[in-house]
Amino acid sequence: MKILIVEDEVKTGDYIRQGLIESGFVVDLARTGLDGHHLALTGSYDLIVLDVMLPDVDGWRIMQSLREARSTTPVLFLTARDSVEDRVKGLELGADDYLVKPFAFSELLARVRTLLRRGAAPVFQDQLQVADLMLDIPRRRAQRHGVRINLTNKEFTLLELLVRRQGEVLPRSLIASQVWDMNFDSDTNVIDVAIRRLRAKIDEDFEPKLIHTVRGMGYMLDVTQPG
Amino acid sequence: MKRRPLSLVVRLTVSIGAVITAVLLTFGWMMERSINNHFVQQDVDELNSVVQALQYLLATVPADIPADELHQRLASVVTGHRNAQYRISTDSGSLIYSTPGFNLDTFARTARPVEEITIDTVESWNDHQEAFRGAVLWIESDRLEGKARFRLAVATGIDFHLHYLDGFRNHLRIVTLAACLIVLLATWFAVYQGHAPIRRISREMRRIRSDQMDFRLEPRSVPAELVELTISFNEMIGRLEDVFRRLSDFSGDIAHELRTPITNLRTHTEVALTQARSVEQYREVLYSNLEEYDRMAKMVGDMLFLAQADNQLLKPELVDIDLQAELRNLFDYFSAWAEEREVLLENTGEQVHVLGDRLMIRRALSNLLSNAVRHTPEGQTVTTTLQVNSGNVRIRIQNPGPPIPEEHLNHIFERFYRLDASRQRSSEGAGLGLAITKSIIEAHGGKIRAFSTTEATTFEVQLPLKME
Repeated sequence: MKILIVEDEVKTGDYIRQGLIESGFVVDLARTGLDGHHLALTGSYDLIVLDVMLPDVDGWRIMQSLREARSTTPVLFLTARDSVEDRVKGLELGADDYLVKPFAFSELLARVRTLLRRGAAPVFQDQLQVADLMLDIPRRRAQRHGVRINLTNKEFTLLELLVRRQGEVLPRSLIASQVWDMNFDSDTNVIDVAIRRLRAKIDEDFEPKLIHTVRGMGYMLDVTQPG
Repeated sequence: MKRRPLSLVVRLTVSIGAVITAVLLTFGWMMERSINNHFVQQDVDELNSVVQALQYLLATVPADIPADELHQRLASVVTGHRNAQYRISTDSGSLIYSTPGFNLDTFARTARPVEEITIDTVESWNDHQEAFRGAVLWIESDRLEGKARFRLAVATGIDFHLHYLDGFRNHLRIVTLAACLIVLLATWFAVYQGHAPIRRISREMRRIRSDQMDFRLEPRSVPAELVELTISFNEMIGRLEDVFRRLSDFSGDIAHELRTPITNLRTHTEVALTQARSVEQYREVLYSNLEEYDRMAKMVGDMLFLAQADNQLLKPELVDIDLQAELRNLFDYFSAWAEEREVLLENTGEQVHVLGDRLMIRRALSNLLSNAVRHTPEGQTVTTTLQVNSGNVRIRIQNPGPPIPEEHLNHIFERFYRLDASRQRSSEGAGLGLAITKSIIEAHGGKIRAFSTTEATTFEVQLPLKME
């Protein structure tokens, strides 16, 4: 998976590149709008992460050129201002998602993965399995080690999210928005409580433990403990 | 481009000048006309007196008077009338007498005879560069040549009258012109002087600096017409001052609130770097820093939101919102958390729809709800109530618990305000939640207030059913 980053801020660009490379992506970094414009139009990328506040050719212009060239490469734009106009403008120009600076890298990573997955053909699986945890999607039932586990509706949705994105760190804000449609940070530990309850049902009586806390970032579900 | 309107001085000077000039011209014209009429009347009187003298002469003259004497008598009729002259002829046109030195032949022949000489019937004409006024009429006498009717042409020179009128007219022109100029100058000066208070106010306004926003104009020191202007200006400055003060308070708050986490981060990092440590320990430092960064990022995000609200940049995207469904969603979201704190959630009231920005309204209600849950003692219930009355939707979020003292109630919507000064930087965040809630409600044209009794604390939100 090849990703283009257009970011003029040196440190930000470096860190995003490092983070994405370490997460297993191939990354090109353009430090000026002009370079970014050129690469976006000539290179072949699976995703473009675009800072819209560039000194020379701004991100809007790049996005416009991309859409005029009938490119379907998903674009995630980064903006420093959380104004409705920016958001609407970006989405109107054909961007697929956006993040407001300052953002958490785990959030960026989660969104990048969501966008990349969107491009792939959706997999309709009736059964999901991680280790001995089985999810029956149509009947919304879970069982572990052959034992049926009673979950509430939201608990099942949460577990399904974790299983579908096995091995990915999911930030709390992403969980809140995907499971409860709450698209803002709450200053409560609602997500922690929900995870704790789910963990009690899924992990307490079983080995190996599947739900892991990634400190400072979020939660992930995997067979092995994160590095 | 729109043209700049004419200056007030020009406008007033031109309009007042035009009126006064018109008045002066009319007045001059009337004067001239009246003097002219007076002269004509004088001429008519003179002509009539000549006619009367002649009639008397013809009535009294003996029939057998010798031609010489008759001639003498006829000549004596105009003595004393310096400019008067006449010509009398028989009905058939043969001349009887004509004042010497003048030629009235043409006039006597062509003019239409009149009954009586008046201002309206008298005629005037020019002959050899001289102006005359006169008339032709029939007079009767049985003493002269036995004829009954004579054709009399009588005239008087009016050059000296016209001369006088010309002089008068010139004079009048000069006086009118001078008067107009004086009036224009006086008007210009008066208007300019009249604007002196405006210039003074302008000078005073120029003294206002961002550090002297307490300056106000004194409405009692200006003319009545400008009172409203000064009051509006004072109100404007008041609003600006308010914004300015909040802005600088805000900057101060930001600096203060960011100082603590930055100090923590610095110290922590510096201490970590003073000696070699295990990977585990470094990781611990980074994790701890990450949490601090998160808090700072959230605070900056919240403050940006508030800054936008302050600058009226919050533009709600209005959609129809089912408040009951929204509350249900929020209850669902908070249920696990509330259960763990052993707090119950309960909603009563009507099914209510409002127009609003879904995300913002959700955020506002979520803030209020999480606050309420947090301050509710174990085993008790947070109650939300929805109500419609007179164009407003009332949302009440009530929680039992210790009352909020009156002196805090007025301030809890202020940013960074904390009920307990010692409880800095707790899990509650930076103390911006209620300020954000208030901004959201106000951006929707609504109001929020809080009241507290010994049993319960209530936050009441009022939203208009329809936003203008």
